[in-house]
Amino acid sequence: MDSDFLYIKPPSLSDLLNHLESWGEKSKVLAGGTDLLVLLRRHDLSPSYVVDIKGIEELQRLEEVEGGDIFLGAGLTVNEAAHSGLVQKRYKALADAANKLASYQLRNRATVVGNICNASPGADLAGPLLVFDAKVQIVSTQGKREVLLQDFFTGVKKTILRPQELLYGLTLPAVTAGERSIYLKLARIKGHDLGIVGVAGRLDSRKKFHLAMSSVAPTPLRLTRLEALLNGSSRSAELPDQAAEAVQEEIRPISDVRASAAYRQHMAGVLVKRVVQYLVQEGGE
Amino acid sequence: MTLVMEGRSEGAMREAGYRYVGHSPDRQEALEKVTGRARYVHDMELPGMLYAKMLHSPYAHAEILSLDVSEAKALPGVKAVLTGRELPYLLGLYMVDKPILAQHKVRYQGEPVAAVAAVDTRTAAKALSLIKVEYQPLPAVLSVEEALTGGVLVHEDINTLDYVKGVFFPQPNSNIASWHKTIKGDIQKGFAQAELTIENEWRLPQVAHVPLETHVVIVQADPYSPKVKIWSSSQSPFAVRNLLAKAFGISRGDITVVVPYIGGGFGGKAGIHLEPLGVVLSRVCQGRPVKIQATREEEFNQLPTREGLRGRVKTGVTKDGKIVAEEIYFDWDGGAYADYSVNVGRAAGYAGAGPYEIPNIELHSRTLYTNKVFGTAYRGFGHLETHWVIERQMDLAAQALEMDPYEFRMKNLLREGATTITGEKITAHSGCVDQCLEAVAKEIAWTGYQSAAEREKAFKTGKVRGKGLAVLHKAPAMPPNTSTSAIMQMDEDGTVRLLLGAIDMGQGAYTTMAQIAAEVLDMPLEKVKVIWENDTDKNPYDWQTVASKYTFMGGNAVIRCAQDLLRQMKEVAACVLRCPVDELTHGNERIRHIQHQDKAIAFKDLALGYAYQNGTGIGGPLIGRGVYMAEGLTNLDPATGQGLPALDWTYGAHGAEIEIDVETGEIHVLKIASAFDVGQVINRKLAVGQVVGGVIQGLGSALIEGYKYSPEGRLLNPSFTDNKIPTAKDIPDRVVPIFIENPQRDGPFGARGVGEHPMISVPSVLANAVYDALGVNFYELPLSPERIVSGLARQKE
Amino acid sequence: MCAEHEHKAAQTYQDSGLPRVLLNCTVNGENVSQWIDPTMSLLHFLRHELNLLGTKEGCGEGECGACTIIFNGRAVNSCLVLAQEAEGSRILTVEGLGQEGQLSILQQEFIKEDALQCGFCTPGMLMSARALLDRNPEPEEEEIKEAIAGNLCRCTGYYPIIEAIKKASEREKEASQR
Repeated sequence: MDSDFLYIKPPSLSDLLNHLESWGEKSKVLAGGTDLLVLLRRHDLSPSYVVDIKGIEELQRLEEVEGGDIFLGAGLTVNEAAHSGLVQKRYKALADAANKLASYQLRNRATVVGNICNASPGADLAGPLLVFDAKVQIVSTQGKREVLLQDFFTGVKKTILRPQELLYGLTLPAVTAGERSIYLKLARIKGHDLGIVGVAGRLDSRKKFHLAMSSVAPTPLRLTRLEALLNGSSRSAELPDQAAEAVQEEIRPISDVRASAAYRQHMAGVLVKRVVQYLVQEGGE
Repeated sequence: MTLVMEGRSEGAMREAGYRYVGHSPDRQEALEKVTGRARYVHDMELPGMLYAKMLHSPYAHAEILSLDVSEAKALPGVKAVLTGRELPYLLGLYMVDKPILAQHKVRYQGEPVAAVAAVDTRTAAKALSLIKVEYQPLPAVLSVEEALTGGVLVHEDINTLDYVKGVFFPQPNSNIASWHKTIKGDIQKGFAQAELTIENEWRLPQVAHVPLETHVVIVQADPYSPKVKIWSSSQSPFAVRNLLAKAFGISRGDITVVVPYIGGGFGGKAGIHLEPLGVVLSRVCQGRPVKIQATREEEFNQLPTREGLRGRVKTGVTKDGKIVAEEIYFDWDGGAYADYSVNVGRAAGYAGAGPYEIPNIELHSRTLYTNKVFGTAYRGFGHLETHWVIERQMDLAAQALEMDPYEFRMKNLLREGATTITGEKITAHSGCVDQCLEAVAKEIAWTGYQSAAEREKAFKTGKVRGKGLAVLHKAPAMPPNTSTSAIMQMDEDGTVRLLLGAIDMGQGAYTTMAQIAAEVLDMPLEKVKVIWENDTDKNPYDWQTVASKYTFMGGNAVIRCAQDLLRQMKEVAACVLRCPVDELTHGNERIRHIQHQDKAIAFKDLALGYAYQNGTGIGGPLIGRGVYMAEGLTNLDPATGQGLPALDWTYGAHGAEIEIDVETGEIHVLKIASAFDVGQVINRKLAVGQVVGGVIQGLGSALIEGYKYSPEGRLLNPSFTDNKIPTAKDIPDRVVPIFIENPQRDGPFGARGVGEHPMISVPSVLANAVYDALGVNFYELPLSPERIVSGLARQKE
Repeated sequence: MCAEHEHKAAQTYQDSGLPRVLLNCTVNGENVSQWIDPTMSLLHFLRHELNLLGTKEGCGEGECGACTIIFNGRAVNSCLVLAQEAEGSRILTVEGLGQEGQLSILQQEFIKEDALQCGFCTPGMLMSARALLDRNPEPEEEEIKEAIAGNLCRCTGYYPIIEAIKKASEREKEASQR
C-alpha cells in the first residue's frame, strides 16, 4: 500500500468502539477490505488507523433472532450469506444478488455490510435488502441505534454513519411462507462486472409488492410509487408492462462510461417487467 | 458437453507418416508454468535495484509551460529525476517522431512528462507528487475527421521528421503520418461496368492488448561505457537492440537484451517501449539497475493500443454477383505517435480488400495522428479492423443483390490463377479459402439468410437466432528481406540443445521447433531441448516474434539447422565407416549405412567428435546452423502499391450461430466454427489453443472492448473496472477449430502460420449473424447490448 | 535465471518506515514467523518476504485474479488482503500444490489439456480451481465457469482450463475411491 497507517485488530466490540471514538475520522473500519484496500493502494484514502473487525466473534453471526428475524453481522462475507440455507430459503433475492456480485474470490472477502457502507449507487445487495425492509444497527460508545436501510443512504457514497460509529449488522424482518423474491442484474459482461441496472422484487404473503433498484439514482432506490401503483391495481396480464412503463417516472439514471441514461431507462423497464412477471407467476419456480 | 472438439483436419492426413509433426506433445515449459517456477521480468530483482515511476500528462494536447522538479530531486531516496528537456532523442520504428519523455508539449493524456528513479516505489510515487508542471491546453484532435481537416497539427514538425523513405508517405503540413495507395486496373471503367454499387462506412474503436503481465523492464547501463544490459518483457529483443543503438548512436555490440518468460504480448510488446527510459535513468544513477513496471492503468493509457479505424468502401458488382470495382478509404486513428500504425496502414494496403479477386481497385490507407494513446501492432496487424469493414461490406453487397452471401463470396474468392490486388498470382499451393468457407458453412448448417417472415415470428418469442459467415486472409507483415536463424549443439549423451532467436510467449514456438528438429533428426523429442531465456548476446538473430511468421521461417531455419547437423555427422561417420557420405542415412539416433544396417554409429558418439578405439579423434563438437531469409518478396511500388509482399497467405473462415435477447440486446454466442488452411498442423494441441484463444480475443473486440474518451480527450476506462475483457462466463457454448491442410510447398512440412488469424473476422461474422437474426445492419463496434437495443429502436422508427 | 538475485534486499520495497510487526502464519504447510512492514499486502508478503514468486500481480485491485491464493481454505485475491490480516492463518500458494516433487492431478491436467499459454494467469487460475474442487469435488460446468470468472486469461479462451478442471475432478474422484 502507498498509504501509511497502523493496523489494529481489537479483540472486543467495546475496544473497537473506544478506538473509533478516540480516533474518529482518522480511522477506517476494515471488514472484507475489497473496497478499502483499493483506496489505500491508490492513496485515495489516508487513514492513520485501519481497524479490523474480524477479531470480534459476535460480528460474524448469521442467525435467526426473536420473532423469526434474521441477523447478519458486519463481518459476514457475501459468499457466507449466499451459501446460507436461511438466506436461500427465505430471502432468495438476496442470495441471487450475492451470487451476482463481483467474482467468487472477491465474494469470499467482501462483506454484506461493506457493500451497504460503501453506498455505491450500484450496490448489488442494497436492492434486495431494501425490499425485505432491512434495518441497520449502528453502535458507538454512546449506545445503539436502529434505522431503516432506506434512511441509511444519503447520496453517492454517502450515508448517515458517523466516523465514531460502526454498522454492527443488519436485521431482516421475518418473512412468511409463500413469499417470492428475485434479483435481476444487467451488466456489460456475464463475468465479474458492476451492474448497469439491478432490480430487486418481492411479493409478500399478503401479495404486496416490494421493489427496489440500483444504478438508477444517486442511492439505491426503493420504488415506493411503483409499489403503490401495483398494490392498488387489480392483478391482470398487463401488470408487468404497466410496471415497466410506470417505473420510468420514478428513476433518474445518469449517463456514464458504463451505459447511457437512455439505455438504463430502457433496461429498468425490461428488468422491472421481468421481475413482476416472475413474482406473479403461479406455482413457483 | 464437450466444449471444444479436437481440432480436426480436413484433407489428406499426411502426418500419419510423421513421428512428431501433426501430433500433440505437451508444451516444453509447461512444468515451470504450473508450478509457479517460471520467472518473468515482473518477478526479477537485482542487487542495488532502483524503481522508476512516471508522471503523466492530464491533457490530450498541451504546451508544457514549466516543469519544476527541484522538490522531487531533494527528496531522500530519490536517485534521479528526468524530464524531456534532458533527453533530446526521438525514436520510432518507421516515423522517428516519439520522445522518451514529452518535450515542450504533450500529445496524449497519459504521455509521460517526467520520470523518477528511487530506492523504492513508495519514494518514487512521493517524488512524483512533488513535481510541478504548468500546462497550456491546446485544441485536441480526437477523431479521424478532425485529423483530416488538419486545422490542428499533432506534430507541428511533421515536415522535418525523419522516416523510412519509399515505404511510408507522410504528407506535409497535415496529420497524415503515411498515405499508402494501392491502384490496380481502371477503377472508372470498373464502376462503369457495375450494375449496382454498394457504399458504406464502418468504424471501430481502439482496443487494448491486455497482456496479464504489464510492460516491464530492468535496465543496467554502464556509466563509463556505452554498455547496456536490459531484461525486458518483450517480443522483439533484436529490434529493441537495433532501435536503441540507432537512437543513442551506440554499437549493437554494446547492448544486451534478455527476455525470460513473458506474460503475454499480442503485438503490444513488439518494438520498443520502456527500454529507452530505463537506459537514461540507469545512466544517471551511476549504472544501478532500474526497474520500470507499468501499472495496469499505464498499460491502458500510456502504453500503446490497437488503432481505431474508419473504413469507407464503395463496391461495384454485376447483377450475377461479380465484383468489378472497389474503392476503399481506410482512415486509421493512429494516436499521438506513428509506432507500428503506419505499417498497419501499409498492410491494409495490400490485404485490406480481403481474399477476393478484384480487377479494378483503388485503396487509400491513411494513418492519422490524433491526440489519443498511440497505436501499435495488435494480433492480426490491422486485419481484424479491415476485415470488419470488408466482411460486413460483402454481406451488404449480397443483401443488395438479394443473393446468398455464401454464393456471393464463392463467386469472388481468390483461387488458383487469380491475382491479388498487388498483382501476385495465386497458385495451387497458396491455400484454399473456398475450402475454409465450405467447411464452416457445413459445420453451422448454413442454408442462407432467414426470411423476413421467419425473423418476425422469432422476434415475438423474445429470443432470435441468426447465423453468419465471414472469410479472412493474412500474410506476415514484414520487410521483404526478413530473416531468422537457429543453432543446434549436441551433447555427449546425444541431447540436442537448440538456440533460437524468437520468443515463446505462450504460443508454443519452442515446442513446435523442437518437434521439427526431432522429426528431421528422427530422434526422441525428449532429447531436444530449446534453450529458454533469449539473450541477444548468445542467441542467433531473429527479426522479431510477430506477424505469424515464425512457424514458417523458424521451421525452415530449424530444418536446415538439423540437416546441417546430420551432414556433419555423416561426414565423420563416412570416414569411420569407410563409405561415401551419400550411402549413409540416419534413424534411431544413429548414422547408418543404407544397405549394411549394422554399419552404424550412434549420434552421441559423434557429438563431441568421434574417438577411435586407440584414442585418436576426428571431427569435433557438433554445431549446426540454419538460416531462413524470406524469398522472392519485393518492396511495393510507391505510386501503385504493386509488388510481392506476402511470404505465405493463411486463409480462413468463420461460421457463427448466435441468439439475441431482443429486449436487453445481449448476444449469446452458441457456436463459432473456424477453419484455416494451415498447410500442415505441426502441433495439434497448440494449434487448437491458438484458434480457440484467438477466437475469444476476437469476441472481445466484437462484443465488449473499446476505448472511451471524454470530449476533452481523457481516457474514461483505463482499468479493468471499465475496460472489460471476456471472462470464463462470456465464451460461446462451443468453438470448433477445423484445419484444412493444403501444403505450402516452401513451408516446413508444408505449414503456414496461424497465430493471429483466429481473431480476424470474428467481429464481422458475429455482426453478419446479428443481421440474420434481426434484419438490422450494424456499422460500428463493439456490438454491446446497448448498441443492439438502440439499433433495434432506430429500425422501429 | 536470476536465481542468485532472488534473495535480495526486499526490505527496501514498499517500506512505509513504520515500525515492523511480527506475523505468524502457515504457508504451504510451513510455519512462518516474520517481522514485516505493517502496510504490506499479503501478496507482497508472499512475493517479497517469502520469495514465493509464483503468485502474480496483474492489476493490484482484485479485478484480474492473478494473485489468487487459498486463504484459510478459501480462494481470495491476495492483493486485497493486508499481510497483517493473515496472522494465525493457513495459506496455500501454487508452490504448495505439488508434493515432494510430484505434480498434483490438477497440475497434470493443466499440462495435458494445455490449459495455459503465457502462464502468467496460471498460478491464480490453479488456486481458484483447487479451492473449487476442495469445496465441490464434482462441479458442473457452470460452477467451474463461476469459480474462475474472477481470473482473467487473455491467451487460452478458457476452454482448455475448464476441460482440465473437469478432468482433474474425474481423476481425483477415481483416486479417492481407490
